[in-house]
Amino acid sequence: MLARKILIIDDEDDIREVARLSLESVAGWEVVSAGCGAQGMASAQKHRPDAILLDVMMPGMDGPATFRELRKNPATAGIPVLLLTARAQGADQRRLARLGADAVLLKPFDPLTLSVQISGALGWT
Amino acid sequence: MNALVNNMDPHPEPDLNAALNQLWLRFRSNLIERVSTLESAAAAFADQKLSREQQEAAFAAAHNLAGVLGTFAMEHGTVLAHQLEMLFGFARRPNRQLAERLCSISAELRALIESR
Repeated sequence: MLARKILIIDDEDDIREVARLSLESVAGWEVVSAGCGAQGMASAQKHRPDAILLDVMMPGMDGPATFRELRKNPATAGIPVLLLTARAQGADQRRLARLGADAVLLKPFDPLTLSVQISGALGWT
Repeated sequence: MNALVNNMDPHPEPDLNAALNQLWLRFRSNLIERVSTLESAAAAFADQKLSREQQEAAFAAAHNLAGVLGTFAMEHGTVLAHQLEMLFGFARRPNRQLAERLCSISAELRALIESR
C-alpha cells in the first residue's frame, strides 16, 4: 500500500486520535487533523492531502457545508472526500449520498481496517 | 457516492490494541462526562424540567458516544447510545415510561464504560 497523506476533520478529539492511530500505525500513512470545518479548509489548502476524512455532524460549519466549500475552492476541489457519520439510518445515508462525496464511512469504524476501507472506497491499490 | 463501507473486526492486533487502550485511558473521563450529561438530561426529563439546551446537549453526547464506543470494541455501548440519541429526540412531552427508559439506558451505559 502506497504512503498516503490523509486529513481528518472532526470536532471530537477521541475520534480524531483513534483515526490517527489507525492510519499511522496500521497503514503507515501521514495524518494531519483539524477540529472544525474552517481549520480543515485551511489545512486542506496547506497540506494538499490525498484524501479527506470529514465528519458530518460538527458545530458551526458542519460536514456538508465544509464539503461544499472544499468543492468550490479550485485548490481543494479535486481532493477525494469521505464523509464520516454515526447516522446509520437509510434516509441519512441517502441525504449524504446526494452531496456527491466519494464515499460515506460509518462510525464506529474498525481501527484495524480503516485504511483498507478508505483504499477500497477510493480504488487505491 | 461510490461506496458505503463499514467493516467491523472484533479482534484487533495486539500492538494496536495496546495503543487503543492508552487512548481509552486518555479519553475515558470525557466519555463518562458525556454519560453524566445524559443522566442529568434523563433526570430533568423525568422531573419535567428538560430544557431545549439540555436536550440538545444530551442528543450531542449520545451521538458522540454512538460514534466512538464501537471504535474501542464496545459495540453494545454504541447500540445503547444510538437508542438514547433516538429517544431524546422524542423527549418533548411528559412521558413516564420514556423517562424510565432514558434513565435505565443511561445507567447501563455508565456501568458498561466504567467496567471496561
